[in-house]
Amino acid sequence: MTKNGGFMIVVRAPLRLSFVGGGTDLPVFYTKYPGRVISTTIGAYVYIVVNRTTFINEISVRYSVAERVRHPSELKHTRVRAALMEMGITRGIEIASFADMPAKTGLGSSSSFSVALMKALHMYQGENISPRRAAEAACRLEIDLIKEPVGKQDQYAAAYGGFNVFEFNEGSVSVAPLSLDHRLKISLEQHLALFFTGITRDASSVLVEQTANTEKKFEILKEMSDSVFEFRDNVMRGNIRRLGEMLHEGWMRKKQLASSISSSVIDTLYETGINSGAWGGKVLGAGGGGCIAFLVSQKYREEMRRKIIDAAETMNLNGFKEINVPFTQCGTEILSSDRGLED
Amino acid sequence: MFSFLEKFSEEVIGCIQRMPRDEIAKALNALMAVFERDGRIYIFGNGGSLALATHWISDFNKTVFTAQLHKATRRFQAIRLPTTEEELTAWANDVGYEWVFAGPLQNYLQYSDLVIAISSSGNSLNIIKAVEFAKSKGVTVIGISGFDGGKLNELADIKITIATEKGKYEVVESVHGVILHLMTRYFKDYFTSLVSRKKE
Repeated sequence: MTKNGGFMIVVRAPLRLSFVGGGTDLPVFYTKYPGRVISTTIGAYVYIVVNRTTFINEISVRYSVAERVRHPSELKHTRVRAALMEMGITRGIEIASFADMPAKTGLGSSSSFSVALMKALHMYQGENISPRRAAEAACRLEIDLIKEPVGKQDQYAAAYGGFNVFEFNEGSVSVAPLSLDHRLKISLEQHLALFFTGITRDASSVLVEQTANTEKKFEILKEMSDSVFEFRDNVMRGNIRRLGEMLHEGWMRKKQLASSISSSVIDTLYETGINSGAWGGKVLGAGGGGCIAFLVSQKYREEMRRKIIDAAETMNLNGFKEINVPFTQCGTEILSSDRGLED
Repeated sequence: MFSFLEKFSEEVIGCIQRMPRDEIAKALNALMAVFERDGRIYIFGNGGSLALATHWISDFNKTVFTAQLHKATRRFQAIRLPTTEEELTAWANDVGYEWVFAGPLQNYLQYSDLVIAISSSGNSLNIIKAVEFAKSKGVTVIGISGFDGGKLNELADIKITIATEKGKYEVVESVHGVILHLMTRYFKDYFTSLVSRKKE
């Protein structure tokens, strides 16, 4: 039956929340000093569905637009085009993507997309690749093939899932999972407040400026990379107040890296959070928009939430939303594949 | 007689104190991950290990959700293989004893699943066959073994080996029981605290 029947593969990749060390995963830095990032995946996902269409020779790709072409080289979607060309898939495939969050929120969704895509395309060719290979394939796609000026933390976070410390060196990436028990996990979730500003930005423009500034800001990036260990130790101790303070210090450092990392809207939201009792916070992703996260005591949490929401309303932030999601463990996985296991 | 009691408890206590904590923590994370993706857990072993597997699925499918038995919309889906004596004897009699786990596993296994294999020696051929099948599909395997861990310890992604001299089945199986109950308690506590958090 599978001889000319189709099959469908559904792959799910989580988004991530990075705490400390973002920016040190760029090659301009980690080729000189180890880059480090600590992050957790969250219960929000990107889905890729791949369908083999044995009776249709064309290639069909559906995201915010629908493309239908005769050869992958004609695709406008750069990543899907490069991925299909790389994998030698030239006909009879439909690819569609779905997501729980809009793009460009700073939660790493564009790399979650790449990891899910590469996992799905390898499965399409009959191989269930490991988290490491899925991360490497996504990095190769984004960095080597398309030459996006991005780092590697998001691909690894999405592929592995869970709370991890990643270390980036030239030619290697190490992954050290934190053995965070559920008490600590729930406690961290209860002290976290996460908001989508409604402003979306392209990571590239900020990252280009950041890359150009790396020489000058080398010492700051070194501090950021080293502070990952202290952050990890405080996570394991449940010292959330200190984690909040460290986020604050990290954000102050990050703001020095590129002029476009912050904006007056971001600064207003951030100051509102700090002035209403948050221990600290940060803007997620490369900056300029996206999400803003705070760590705050249970005592001030409600009051702080209200004030942030009021501030967003005052500034007319369309699309502003509070995000309430758990920290998760599951990485990028094949949720379903009706391709026979022996096929 | 008391010195015998003393010696046996010391052996068991020693093994509990030396249990591979990092690997057990990894196993708990892997179980959480399979819950999040709504996958299934297949568990199997020979003799006493099969009894442990059967005991564990009852705890994992029900006891873990004690605080919300009638409300939990998602639960663990733990399945002991083979699921019936008929399957066990059919595979053993018709095909060969080495197929009693790998045979049924091939009927069920999906990419979102997880496999737990229990073997004190780590070398039971039927266990290894099933583990090799799961590995060939890229499915995560938790290996629970004893003695020197055997082939299971080499193959498993998560290696829970209770290291003892060869042949100490009673000690190894007792500690396996402790580890499986540890997993049950961990998730029972977790789901109970989620319920009390909602009530706050």
